[in-house]
Formats: sequence, C-alpha cells, structure tokens
Amino acid sequence: MHDQRPVTNVDKGTLRINLFAGMADVSGCRSVEIEWTGGTVGDLRSRLAACIPAIETLLSRSAVAIAGAYAQDAADVPCGAEVAIIPPVSGG
Amino acid sequence: MTDPVSSVPEKLSHWGSTPILVRHEIDAAQVLAAVASPVAGATVLFIGTTRSLSDGVVTQRLEYEAYEPMAAKTLGSLRDAAIVRFGLIDCHVVHRLGLVKVGETSVAIATSAAHRREAFEATQWLMEQIKHEVPIWKCEQSADGSREWVHSGSVPMGFLPATPNESSPA
Repeated sequence: MHDQRPVTNVDKGTLRINLFAGMADVSGCRSVEIEWTGGTVGDLRSRLAACIPAIETLLSRSAVAIAGAYAQDAADVPCGAEVAIIPPVSGG
Repeated sequence: MTDPVSSVPEKLSHWGSTPILVRHEIDAAQVLAAVASPVAGATVLFIGTTRSLSDGVVTQRLEYEAYEPMAAKTLGSLRDAAIVRFGLIDCHVVHRLGLVKVGETSVAIATSAAHRREAFEATQWLMEQIKHEVPIWKCEQSADGSREWVHSGSVPMGFLPATPNESSPA
C-alpha cells in the first residue's frame, strides 16, 4: 500500500463526534462520524442538527469541546480533531 | 478560560498521581488525610451524597458518566486554580462515576488552609465550578426502572450558540 495516511482511527475528511448522557440516549449512539473538510464549531452544529434532527433542542443548550477544551462557535474544527458535544453538566 | 497551571506553586506536581475520577466507593477519611498539613489551621471536608428525593421524584440510585479525559483535566485545573485563588495549603477532589446508591458519596472535596474562611470559600467555589464546568452527568434511576439524564444545568458562559435556532438574516 502506498497510502501514507497517519495511523488514526478517523480518516482524513471525516470527523468523529463523541456524544454523552442524554445526547447519546436521544441519538441512539455514543459517537457519530460525519464527512468534514473543515469549518467552524457553528458549522458543525448545523451539520449535526441536520444529520440527527432529534438532538437539535439539546444541542442548542450544549457546548462543543475540541481536544478536551470548550470551544466557541467561531473556533475552527480541524479534520481528525477529537470533538465532543457537552450537554448541560450535572456532576456533584 | 485562563490557564492557572502557569502560576501554581511547586507542590501541585504531586497531583499527577492522584485519582480524580473513581469507580469505587470514596473513602472520605482518605480524602481528608490527603490535605493534612502541620501548618493548616483549618481543614474543610465536603461530601456530596446521592439523595433519595429529587424534585419530588424518588430516586433509587444515580449513574454518573463523564467525558473522562476532559473531566479529569478540568477537575485538576479547578483544583489548581482554587489553591492559587484562595491561598490554600492543599486541596483534593474526587468524583465517583458509574452507579452510586442512595446515601453513598458521589463527590468529595477537602481543602486545608491557614484559616477557616479560605478553606470554606474554596470548597464552596469548587463545588459551584464543578456543577457548571466539568463534563460529568448524572442519570436518576427510579425503583420502577425509569431513568432520566439530568440536563437542567448549564455549560460555561460563552460556549452556547449565539442564537439557539439559526435565524435567517432579515
């Protein structure tokens, strides 16, 4: 194989998004993979809501984390980034 | 968010080996002992326990889930920040994950300081931050088998979409 892609479990051009708690329940899965060629957190929100309409309400109250840090809507989401949707937290 | 790690005292390097998220019962005495110091004039221990009644609904047990790498990192940063902000001698935070029965401890915070005021205030501050920032969620489970994730709280300010439902420009 000539393919020299880095060893990751996510292909370039796709983005795996981790879902937790009620977000996982509503969508019926713990992660989703979408095609991704770049864009902002805001773009990602729109894409996700379009992919899984059921999560739209909770998504509008959720934050997005990139590489384990909260990210604002204008932030860039690189291909292959570790992305998670963080619904309102309830620890303690 | 500012990065508190850049200005923390040397002592904090011990934090690396301390378990922050656990899946077993939390030993309060151990948490308390972890912050003991001969220069402490006050030590505060906060224990959060699973209560049976939540908004009129009888809960049998709670299940906690976390985005673990981020939760551990955030708890560590908050603990470091509390030490700097309140001038603590030491601080220890443990949060439990998985199933937690009624009456069991879900979170424990111990703070030691020269005087009681800082220890009390830091403990209160830490709990508030945990409830707003740390990606941990609880699921209330009743005796009849019903279960519900609690999403009545919030996420940190500034990380929600500007408009919940994208409105088209006028």
